[in-house]
Amino acid sequence: MRAALVIAARILRQRLRDRSAIIFAVLTPLGLALAFSLLIPNDFSSFHTNFIVIDRDGGRVSSVLVNSVLPAVAGAGVADITPGTTETAAADEIRAGRAGAAIVIPPGFSDAVTAGRPAEIRLLGGEFPISLEVARSVVSRFASDIGATQLMIATTSATGGTVDAAVVARVQAAVAAPAPISVSESATEDLQANLATFYGAAMAIMFVFFATQYGALALLADRQVGTLSRLLAAPVSPAAIILGTSLAGLVLGLVSMTVLIVATTVLVHASWGSPPLVAILVLSAVIAAMGISTVVATLARTPQQAGGLNAIVALSLAAIGGVFIPLSQAPEGLVVVSQITPHYWFLRGISSLASPTAGLADIAPSVAVLLAMGAVLGAIGLARARRALVP
Amino acid sequence: MTPSPGPGAGDVSPSGAPGPAEPATAASSLKAAPPGSGGAVLRCEDLRKRFGTRQAVDGISFEIARGETYGLLGPNGAGKTTTISMVCGILARDGGTVVVDGKPLDVGTTSAKAAIGLVPQDLAIYPDLTARENLVFFGRLYGLGGRDLAARADEVLDVVDLADRARERTEHYSGGMKRRLNIAVGLLHRPRLLVLDEPTVGVDPQSRNAILTSVEALSAQGMGILYTTHYMEEAERLCARVGIIDEGRIIAEGTRRELVALVGGLDKISLAATGDIKAAAAEVRALEGVREVTPHEGGLDLLVVEARRLLPRVLEAVSRDGVSVRSVEVVEPDLEAVFLHLTGKALRD
Repeated sequence: MRAALVIAARILRQRLRDRSAIIFAVLTPLGLALAFSLLIPNDFSSFHTNFIVIDRDGGRVSSVLVNSVLPAVAGAGVADITPGTTETAAADEIRAGRAGAAIVIPPGFSDAVTAGRPAEIRLLGGEFPISLEVARSVVSRFASDIGATQLMIATTSATGGTVDAAVVARVQAAVAAPAPISVSESATEDLQANLATFYGAAMAIMFVFFATQYGALALLADRQVGTLSRLLAAPVSPAAIILGTSLAGLVLGLVSMTVLIVATTVLVHASWGSPPLVAILVLSAVIAAMGISTVVATLARTPQQAGGLNAIVALSLAAIGGVFIPLSQAPEGLVVVSQITPHYWFLRGISSLASPTAGLADIAPSVAVLLAMGAVLGAIGLARARRALVP
Repeated sequence: MTPSPGPGAGDVSPSGAPGPAEPATAASSLKAAPPGSGGAVLRCEDLRKRFGTRQAVDGISFEIARGETYGLLGPNGAGKTTTISMVCGILARDGGTVVVDGKPLDVGTTSAKAAIGLVPQDLAIYPDLTARENLVFFGRLYGLGGRDLAARADEVLDVVDLADRARERTEHYSGGMKRRLNIAVGLLHRPRLLVLDEPTVGVDPQSRNAILTSVEALSAQGMGILYTTHYMEEAERLCARVGIIDEGRIIAEGTRRELVALVGGLDKISLAATGDIKAAAAEVRALEGVREVTPHEGGLDLLVVEARRLLPRVLEAVSRDGVSVRSVEVVEPDLEAVFLHLTGKALRD
């Protein structure tokens, strides 16, 4: 273990000296955090957008959204609500920057909801994703309330009884009642924190690959400068050499993610959740990233090759894993494929920590998958590295 | 570098006492270190290594005593580095055994490796660390630490004349300085066996001489040294015994004199002289080891066994007859000739 620590300390010293670790593990994520602070307003009262609402239904349910919920959002100063006529015209307004998003309620929406059939509200967004996210948040909250009402009616029917007319009346009254203002205010504050946390977590999991790679690349660098033979001739087992390089990668990965978490918390008020649970998720994500970096490094002959390959893998996994766009906006197929990436599981774990009551059980699936990825890929990578060490 | 107190190079040295003229041997079986040499610090037996279809090392055996410098002499690709890699536990063996300082060595073992100091053929230092940082890092891997490590680093920096540049990153060093630091790292932990793999390749003549002088000094201090080279002159200067290696086998082994005897050649001494040449020829002919004397108008030509040893007595004999010697030329069969004789190839082929 002493030899592994000596090797890890030497790698960290080298990476600090050539500043590459500082750039990738500290400055880049910190710069991104600062960029987020400009992109995402700290004071949400300064954020304002314009929603176009196209109500082709004109029914009782849609009128709740149009006449009660959305005016509440407007009343909070978040958005102006403008009636629209066609989706094409709305899209033109969004492209021209005169509207942030459009909410389209199709014909038959109220009838479908009342009959318990699936119903859909469409959203149109532009280049500025926050407007779309605000619209999504408002509509999702409304749809969730409607869904709960439908479920209550369906449950009553399924238990054998007939749906009491009085119950239906109460439900309809509840649906028709204006949404409390407090609901929309709460939703917008959550949204700000969620966006900051999402992008912070996304950048953290993406950049951790650039931090952990330094451990995996160290053996290739040793081979390139000729020091590998001296390491192998020293009274140190090959396992200790590999452990030392892995420890360096672990430290750099943890530092990188911690810096980004602290920076986004301080600068853009990201809400990461319970620190111990976040720490468990971060450690799991770093281990998964180390496993992938180790395998990637064994596929290359030089540190330069491995660095390039690692960047390709990191960016590809980030794209698939929902780093650049929230998976809620992604095609269904991509959502399925994303589950092979550590990014998906890390972001899912961080998302589940948004609830103030979240516990270890909520992040257990993410932690389990991330650790399994790290264990399986790490074992493959280390076995390949050991074979390469002592031919 | 610090000057050598003496060459310690057996009968290769002009001043060294000659050993018994035993014949050199083809080395398919273990060759014992010379008796009375303090016990074996390295014992290799039947080393084998194959890369694909190529048998890189094919049954190599040899032994090195404490204080002995043993040379592996052969052309590039002969199997020297592969042999050294197996001796140091860098390369897994297909067969054979390695025992260092009485302890068996394998890739995964660590105790036997602690007795070895390796100076690889290619530079093995971190360019982005200073000389001292390199030494401290490798020293810690060998279990050194604290004041002992600091003091030892100072010592070896002095030995290789880098003390005043110790805090510079080695990427700014000249090639010769890097080579010297490469050797210093190998010496740091006071190894019982120093393994040098062609340490003078690509080195300027001044640094080369300094390296050879250091090796001689270390040998004189009692360190066992395994020295590979394809420079015949280095093997002759440094090594008490030489194993001639070709195509993965040691094809002959022994002292320089034993190996030269394989060729069957005698040394030639040419004296340019004036005076009573015939009388001088008679004096010289009576000396033991002189096989043939040819007087001529300008002096004498002699065929002798071991010219360097015999030369002082030859000069003394001719001077007794008032002959004045203007110049002396000694032509000896060398290890290059031995290699050519045994393989039909030149060392630098």
